[in-house]
Parts: sequence; structure tokens; C-alpha cells
Amino acid sequence: MNRAAATGSIALTLASALTLTACGGSGGAGVAADAKQTLTVWAMGTEGEKLGDVAKEYEKTHSNLTVKVTPIGWDVAHQKLVAAAAAGKLPDVVQMGGSYLGEFADMGVLEPVDSKTIHETDYFPAAWQQGSYDGKTYGAPWYVDTRVLFYRTDLAKKAGIEKAPATMADLQSAAEAYQEKAGTKWGLSIQPGGLDTVQSFYQFLYSAGGAIIDDDGKAAVNSAAAVKALENYGSYFDKGLSEKSVRPGYDVTKDFNTGAVPMFFGGPWLTNLIDENYPDLKGKWAVAPVPADVASVSMAGGSSLAISADSDHKAAAKELVAYLTGAKGQTDWFERTNDLPANTEAWTTGDLADDPTMQVWRQQMDTARATPSQPKLTEITSKVDTAIESVTQGKSSAKEALDKAQSEIEGLVQ
Amino acid sequence: MSLTTGPAAPQAAAVDKSPHGGGKAGRNRRGNRSLSKHNLTGWLFSTPFLVLFGVFMLFPIVATFLMSFTDFGARNVTRPLEAEFVGLDNYTQLFQDDKFLKALFNTGYFVIVGVPATIVLGLLAAILLNNGIHRARTLFRVGFYAPVVTTIVAVAVVWRFVLDPSDGLIASLASEVGLTAPDFLGSETWAMPSLITMAVWRNMGTVMVLCIAGLQAIPTDVREAARLDGAGAWQELRGITIPLLRPTLLYATVITTIGYLNVFEEPFVMTQGGPSDSTLTVSLDMYREGFNFFHMGYASAMAYVLFVVIMGITVLQLRLLKDNTR
Repeated sequence: MNRAAATGSIALTLASALTLTACGGSGGAGVAADAKQTLTVWAMGTEGEKLGDVAKEYEKTHSNLTVKVTPIGWDVAHQKLVAAAAAGKLPDVVQMGGSYLGEFADMGVLEPVDSKTIHETDYFPAAWQQGSYDGKTYGAPWYVDTRVLFYRTDLAKKAGIEKAPATMADLQSAAEAYQEKAGTKWGLSIQPGGLDTVQSFYQFLYSAGGAIIDDDGKAAVNSAAAVKALENYGSYFDKGLSEKSVRPGYDVTKDFNTGAVPMFFGGPWLTNLIDENYPDLKGKWAVAPVPADVASVSMAGGSSLAISADSDHKAAAKELVAYLTGAKGQTDWFERTNDLPANTEAWTTGDLADDPTMQVWRQQMDTARATPSQPKLTEITSKVDTAIESVTQGKSSAKEALDKAQSEIEGLVQ
Repeated sequence: MSLTTGPAAPQAAAVDKSPHGGGKAGRNRRGNRSLSKHNLTGWLFSTPFLVLFGVFMLFPIVATFLMSFTDFGARNVTRPLEAEFVGLDNYTQLFQDDKFLKALFNTGYFVIVGVPATIVLGLLAAILLNNGIHRARTLFRVGFYAPVVTTIVAVAVVWRFVLDPSDGLIASLASEVGLTAPDFLGSETWAMPSLITMAVWRNMGTVMVLCIAGLQAIPTDVREAARLDGAGAWQELRGITIPLLRPTLLYATVITTIGYLNVFEEPFVMTQGGPSDSTLTVSLDMYREGFNFFHMGYASAMAYVLFVVIMGITVLQLRLLKDNTR
């Protein structure tokens, strides 16, 4: 989130948000897909930068279109989108982070996905779920992201670990073995507290069969399974297997390279990052599915593409979204960005089908769970962050912390 | 203001002069009659400012005030009129909110420790650079002032390196001599002092520049007279420098206090309010409530509580510190 916003600018933004509310837009009239027009697209981070190239390619086959892509930093994305939504000035197509969708769908600024061109069965279930809110789908799944276990194979040999930990019990004994026999500083890197600690906890929570909000949309964070998961999570800090100190902006790959941290849960982008920054590490590490508790279930993240309810270019926008989320577009996108395709058909060819590392991601995605779309999701997960921190810092038991979170979250779910 | 502060206190001197002395009332009456002609030009020149001031200052101030009595949330961004009027609920809720009270406490801590440290170090640096160090004076002045104009992001990178518990500067130095440095940003005890140190380092440059300007305005004959009378360095500081610098120090104290009551950037980039909210300040809490959770009404109420606190403290400071110069 970045970066320096002084109090003055806060007041300013607050106020401008309010000013802009004065002029909310109404539904667009609609320009035919083949008419000459300009499509505006907003995308975040790396996606925003790379999407411009795809847009140029796309223009070649659609000579009537000019596709204007604006990259937005993730740090300012949320505020920018809210301000634009308030002003009725959202672009025709907009990238929606999984945690944003509920909020914007609730505001009524997104167009429901056209079920004639985009089919639920083409995508990973978790990816589809992330684009849905209140029984309707507003975002077409674009790319997915999940967490798997990264571990050092060379140090594993020293520690006498023969294969990747398959269960949660294995994971802890592996962490101990790394520390005792291979002399690593820590056993496993998981976040002890601070913003979005919950992302570290999901692997434990979901694998134990718990959830923050259950399938009926009710708060369920103090279930027996969740308590067990948090006790397990906390035990790594109790036993000195994980670092208690909270370090904002911590880069785990540095310590993974030096061997101070032999295991961590990470997303797909880290594969490239490690290869590029630490070429000497090649062949000394591998990825494995999340160790199973009741089952092996990881979190699902990623983004979908949504069309603004106010857009005048819905027809052309739908075609663009259908291309980007279709199998062909997704294969092309993977080659450009290494983002994992949300469309399962894209996984049937090339590297995605053959590479054993990619198969780990693929397998994990099949069972991955998405956080349910909720307008107050950020606030809900922040309550879980607080609960986790109080346990890792030894201030409260898992049960107490989660009971408190439960009562707070009950008032926030819709 | 009977004390002859002379040129050392330009601000104080300016206050004493009354530009509208004498026939003030008469002139005003005459001015009113020719309002249309004379004032039109004035209004024309002021319009750009007034428009900007109205749009970017006055409107937000009023809007925030109104919002603080509603439950304005994310939904209301598109449907502002649906926001419900909740009266003083936000305010009463604030004072039962442990998080806010903690933020208030942390902000107080920041001010009570940070302000004196900034003023004293800024003053010392100014005295040192004005008298003590003759060579490379400019270099030092630039050096002390550089942190003020450096962006917080660059500052954060440097300080993270200094404070890193495993391979940071302090940790490495400490291990050289066989000590273990605390985990500065990761410990509830040390996180706040670390941020205060960083803020003092960043802000003492401003105080220093103000003080150097003030020091240079102190006539040398006053100092010489004191020295002839046998005053030592300490007596000179207590008897001459500080009294003559009083208006400058008052100004520096007030702006530093206001700045620290609003402190946001340091915890935002360094700790995000953690660990366990130990560095959560009022501004950061307000930012989170407003922009992460979209409790706009609640955040607006916070802004007004902070405003009242700042107003109160500033008035108090002006009263207490100014009295002595009379």
C-alpha cells in the first residue's frame, strides 16, 4: 500500500470521494461490438504492464478497436477504483482482485458476466467462486494464484528428510530436523503478525477443514477445526521453529537462499524470482503440495476481469474479456507473465501440461479454496490477523483469540 | 512585550506594531462606501484562491464534519444520501474503542518523547554549526538538513537496514562487541522508540534551520558584553541564547508538536502499526478505518477528535510559552 499519504491528502481524498458522488453515471446506451470505438482497460501491477502488449496484438485482429490499457499500482488500486466507481467513471474493463469483488459488486457498479460466452465449468471452482457475489457472477476468472510449499532439497538431505512432508505432522518434524540436523536458523517461515497474516494461515486453516466464513455465509472462525489449525500454527512460534518478529516488507527468498529459512509457503511468482535472483540455487530446491491435515487445501487468490455497469462499449468489452479468459488467450498470457491460467483447458498443452513443477500448482488449484466475496472482507480478515498475532506472540490461546474474532466477524458478514 | 528582543525576534516585533492604529474606524467607513469599485478588483484577484480554498479546504472540512455524524460506508460512495444520521454515536463509540484509545496513547507517547528531543537536538545542532564548527560548516548544515527533504520511502530503506535484527548495522556492530541488539521493529517495547528516533532524525533539521536563522539575528555585541562580564558558555546559553531565541523555539515547538500529533508516515512505512498495534497512531488508525474498511463516518469523527486535540494543545502551548516573553 503505498506510499506516503499525509493526513492532509487523506482529508482531501475523503472529500473528493464525496464530491464525485454527486455525479453518478447511469447505464450506457451501448455501441455495437464491430463499431469503431476505444476500449479502456485498467489492470494492476505486472499485469497492467504486460497487458498493453496483448492489447496491441488484439487490435491487429480487431481493426475497429483501440484498446487503451492503464496500469495501476496495487498500492493505490483500491482507492482509485472506489473513487472511479463513485464517479461512475470506471473503465470499460477492469481487473478485480479477489478481495475487492464483493465490495464493488455490492456497490452495483459491475455488469454480471454473460453466461452465454463464459462458462463456469471451464474454470477452477475457486476461481469462479471469487468472481461471484450473492449468487451472481460479476468477474470472469483471469488468472489464479495459490500457495505451495517451497523447500530446500540439499538441506533436506543433510537433515535426513527423504521426501517432501505430506502431512502437517511431517511438516513440523521436518522443520525440527532442518533446524537440528542441517543447522538452519528457522524451520519454516510463516508470518507472525501484521497485515494479511491470514494469507499465511489459510494453508493451515483450510487443510484442517476450517474456514473464516462457512458455505452458508456465516462466521465460522472459532470452529474446532480452526482452533486446531491455529494451535498448530502457533506451535511453530512456541517451539522456536518460526521467527516471532514481525518484519514488514520481509523478503523470504533472501533467507531461503542463505539457508536460514529452509521451508516456506509461496505463490507462483516466486519460482521466477528465485531463478532470476539466485541462479546458484537451481537444483537445490523444489515445490510440494501443502501438507495435508484432514486434506491438502491451499488458498486461492488471483484476479478476474469485470465490465463496468456504466460502460457504453459492453459488447466489445465482452469479446475482449472472452478472449483474455479463453483457453487460447490464457496460454498466451501464461507465456508472457507466468500467471497461472484460471481456465483449465489452457493446462492441457505445452509446459503447463508437461512440467512436473507446474503439475504441483495444478493439483493444488483443484482443491484450493477462495475467500468468500464479502463487501467487508478486508475488515473481516483483519480481525483474523489480530487473532493470529495474539497467539504467535503468546498473549492468548487459540480458542480465546478465535472466539473474540468470531464475535467481531459475526457483526460484519452479510 | 516590554522585553527588548530587538531583531532577534522578528515575529514578536511584528506583532507589537499595529498597522491599523489611529483613524482605523474612519477609514473603514470610507471604504464601505466605494465597495463596489475598489473591492471588485480585489475580489477578482482573490477569486482563484477562494475557489481553490473552497473546493479543497472548506468543502472537505465541512463535508467531513457532516460525515462524522453518519454511518457513511462503502455502499454510500455511490448512494451518499442513503447514509444514515447517527448523531453522536461515532464519537461515543470512539471513546469505547480500545484500538483508538491505544492509538491516542501512542500518539501522546510520540509527542511527549519526540518533541523535546527534536527541539533540544535541533537547537544543539544549530549552536554547534553557528559557533563551534568552523570548517566544513556548510557540509554539516546540508548533512543535517538532508533527511528533511528526503522522501520517506528512501528513508525507510536506510532505517530498515540500520534496524534489521539479523544483519542490520546496529545488530552487526553489537555482535562485534559481543552484545545482542534488540529486535527494534519487531518488539512492542522497542518499535515506538525506534520510530521516534527516526522522526527526530528527520525533523531536527527543520528546527536547526529555524534556530540558525534566529541565532544569526542575535547581535554580537550582546554576546561580547556577556563575555566581558565573564559569562561562560553555559551562562551565555541560558542567559542570552535561549531567551533571545524564545519566539523561534516557540514556533518550532508548535509546528513540531502539530507534526507529531499527525504522525503517519513513519509507522505506515516501517511497521504498519504493529507489532500488536504498539505503533498504531491516530492518523494511521484513521487511514485504516477510512480507506481499508471504508468506515468514512467513523474516520471523520476521528479526524475531528484529532483536530480538537491539536487545537487544544496548540492554544495551551502558545499561552504557557508566550507568557514568559511578556
